[in-house]
Amino acid sequence: MSLLCVGNSEDKTALKAVLKKLLVLPVTMILVSFLTFAAFEAVSGDPARTMLGTEATEEQVQSLRQELGLDRPFAQRYFRWLGGFFSGDLGISYSYRQPVRDLIGSKLLITLLLSLISFTLITVVSLPLGVISYRWKTTVFNQLFMAFPPFFTGILISWVFGIIFRLFTPGAFPDIYTDTGRALVHLFFGSICLAVPRIAMTVRMLRSTVVSEMNKAYVRTAISRGNDRQGVLKRHVLKNSLVSAVSFLGQTLAELVGAGIVVEQVLGIPGLGRFLVTSILHRDYPVIQAIVVILALWVGLAGVLADLINQAIDPRLRIRQGVVSA
Amino acid sequence: MEKKVFVVLLLALLLLASCAKKSSQVPSDEVRIGVSQDFDSLDPHHMTAAGTKEIMFNVYEGLVKPDSSGNIVPAVASQVSRSEDGKTYTFTIRDNVKFHNGRAVTAQDVVYSINRRTDGKDSAAKLAALNVIQGVSAQGNSVVIELKEASNEFLAAIMNAYIIPGDHGDLETNPVGTGPYRFVSRSVQDSLVLERFEDYWGTKAGIKKVTFRILENAEALVLGLQSGALDLVAHLSSDQTVQLDSKAFTIEEGSMNLVQALYLNNKAKPFDNVLVRKALCYATDKRKIIELAFDGYGIPLGTSMFPSFGKYYVDELTDYYSYDPQKAKDLLAQAGYPDGIDITITVPGNYTPHVNAATAMTELFRQAGIRATIRLMDWGTWLEEVYSNRNFQCTVTGVTSDNMTARKLLERFGSKTGNNFTNYSNEDYDRILAQALAEPDDAKQTALYRELEKNLTENAANVYIQDMADLVAVRNGLKGLTFYPLYVLDVSALRWEQ
Repeated sequence: MSLLCVGNSEDKTALKAVLKKLLVLPVTMILVSFLTFAAFEAVSGDPARTMLGTEATEEQVQSLRQELGLDRPFAQRYFRWLGGFFSGDLGISYSYRQPVRDLIGSKLLITLLLSLISFTLITVVSLPLGVISYRWKTTVFNQLFMAFPPFFTGILISWVFGIIFRLFTPGAFPDIYTDTGRALVHLFFGSICLAVPRIAMTVRMLRSTVVSEMNKAYVRTAISRGNDRQGVLKRHVLKNSLVSAVSFLGQTLAELVGAGIVVEQVLGIPGLGRFLVTSILHRDYPVIQAIVVILALWVGLAGVLADLINQAIDPRLRIRQGVVSA
Repeated sequence: MEKKVFVVLLLALLLLASCAKKSSQVPSDEVRIGVSQDFDSLDPHHMTAAGTKEIMFNVYEGLVKPDSSGNIVPAVASQVSRSEDGKTYTFTIRDNVKFHNGRAVTAQDVVYSINRRTDGKDSAAKLAALNVIQGVSAQGNSVVIELKEASNEFLAAIMNAYIIPGDHGDLETNPVGTGPYRFVSRSVQDSLVLERFEDYWGTKAGIKKVTFRILENAEALVLGLQSGALDLVAHLSSDQTVQLDSKAFTIEEGSMNLVQALYLNNKAKPFDNVLVRKALCYATDKRKIIELAFDGYGIPLGTSMFPSFGKYYVDELTDYYSYDPQKAKDLLAQAGYPDGIDITITVPGNYTPHVNAATAMTELFRQAGIRATIRLMDWGTWLEEVYSNRNFQCTVTGVTSDNMTARKLLERFGSKTGNNFTNYSNEDYDRILAQALAEPDDAKQTALYRELEKNLTENAANVYIQDMADLVAVRNGLKGLTFYPLYVLDVSALRWEQ
């Protein structure tokens, strides 16, 4: 009976900790949006001039600045944007003169899919490989894969699977809504480019944790008591090693969205990363703001997710966090 | 263990290879074109990017339009007449011209379209080149335009007043024009689809469907051609073209119709001294730059004009300054810089040809005691700092004319012109420019423009390099690619032939 009580209060503190993290998310997003706004205030480059190009007269630029509200003071502009953001209005893109929300939808979906597919690949491949590889020495292969830049793998994979085997068509990304199957295949090859170096990193990290854990006293004791090595690995070592692996993977999940930019460019995937780069070049503030905030949300969520999983694996973390938050 | 994994992987690859499909068939009613920059606004009066105008040329038309040899030919108007004093133009609207939405074009639509570009209610749509217009009115089936003064360039300027329906909806998402192709769909940063307009008044387009794919990465464009996803890509670099299989593609060479030069800020030290500017000209070996950075593709230029503008082009000016690093050193010493000079070349970093030209120049300059550093800027910053604020020493960029007039290329060097980003200021130049702009006789005006070009060269206003080559990869079987003296891609002339 008393045990059950303890369990309950533990769960509550854990829940509190997670809730707290979730509450911090909007604050992070606002902070990030403010910093982005301020950063573009500091760098030179006038959206109105970029929109109108080299042919425009000074008058035209000025009246467009007025029309876009760019002549207003910084704080006023920022709070206007923030107000719009909270009411679901992301503004109108400067370059395309269309609502940002309409432009971003499919790109967000594509980037999410790309990240999730490569994350699945990383997890499915690197976890078992990391655990069984504790008996092998680190190899040149591992080092080599880790150093594969997505730019290079992107070209290589397009060549081998796109041009020789024709499993997908580089340069013609199928419509994600009407031709979902082929679009997913295209994304799958993109996600391989993203996954390769990260699989190598995760395997290496997991292997070194397993190796150091296997050398610990409790393992020696367990084995000397007659437990077989495999059993100890499965029952004890794996669980203890997973915590750091999950944190690492959480970080990877957060990174993937940003890392996709190069792959999106080389494989011609119309995702969020490419859109962000172009929008920065064109000083398309509303688009930049929206994408940056979405990325901040993503990074935050990945962290919360990793925490949740870790707490499920290791009860000690639940108590520790409860104490800290109390 | 790892060996086994490797063998398995290899076997899997071989298996894949055996079931690999044969090269896909090229569809005969579609052409797929790769472009390296996304289109901006599709509203014909708002589009700014050269790449958007290049493609939307197929969707929109003005009263008149250019043909491939540089003539202005009737389009939405079937006839143009000019009054004796040159101040009144009467355009007769062609009978059978329809908008893509099926409605016939009326004189009111034309008046509306021209007003939208001139009345300033929509500031972004205002076109400075049309400031000469006094008034526009519809008279039955024709439109009468009164000018403030006679102008030889009016017809060229009115080309860009694209005709749109007066009752149009949102032109960004649903562009409606009168051209040989109509808009079907657009996905930002991904694709644009056009379809042949069956009710087009003129020669109907050869290919039914056109898909433009936006791939800003140079490798992605090449991969797209190789994988069969693209049939045509223009503005390639020679590096890109050598990667293509010559059995599958033909490389056509045209010119970009722009003046690539090291543009000097004539007000910034040390370029306010004509001797220094001349030294820079003598230190520049145009042909060497073209050879080093462009594999020999490109036409060397000596002034702000290129050969495709025919009568305006003065060929003798190209070699006015023959390459002579010693003379450059002497001139620098004469100007008070016996130890040479240090300069900073600002370049918009996303335009590789300009970066490459600047790099080659830096190497050549060294032999004449000119130590140059390259400063890269992104396009937005460049526009603000260099083009608008004129806060720079020198920059490599390309200047072009979007309406086939010499005026567009030369007016900008007048000391009072708003977009004179080089701060070039020369009394003779201003005087001849004023004469040229006011001259009603075409032959006399041409002579004056040629004078202006000579003035720019003699005073070493800028260090002219070249008119860049336009290398276009075309899949074999695709015919009809035509180069214009303007930055346009005429898709309607393309067709598949076996």
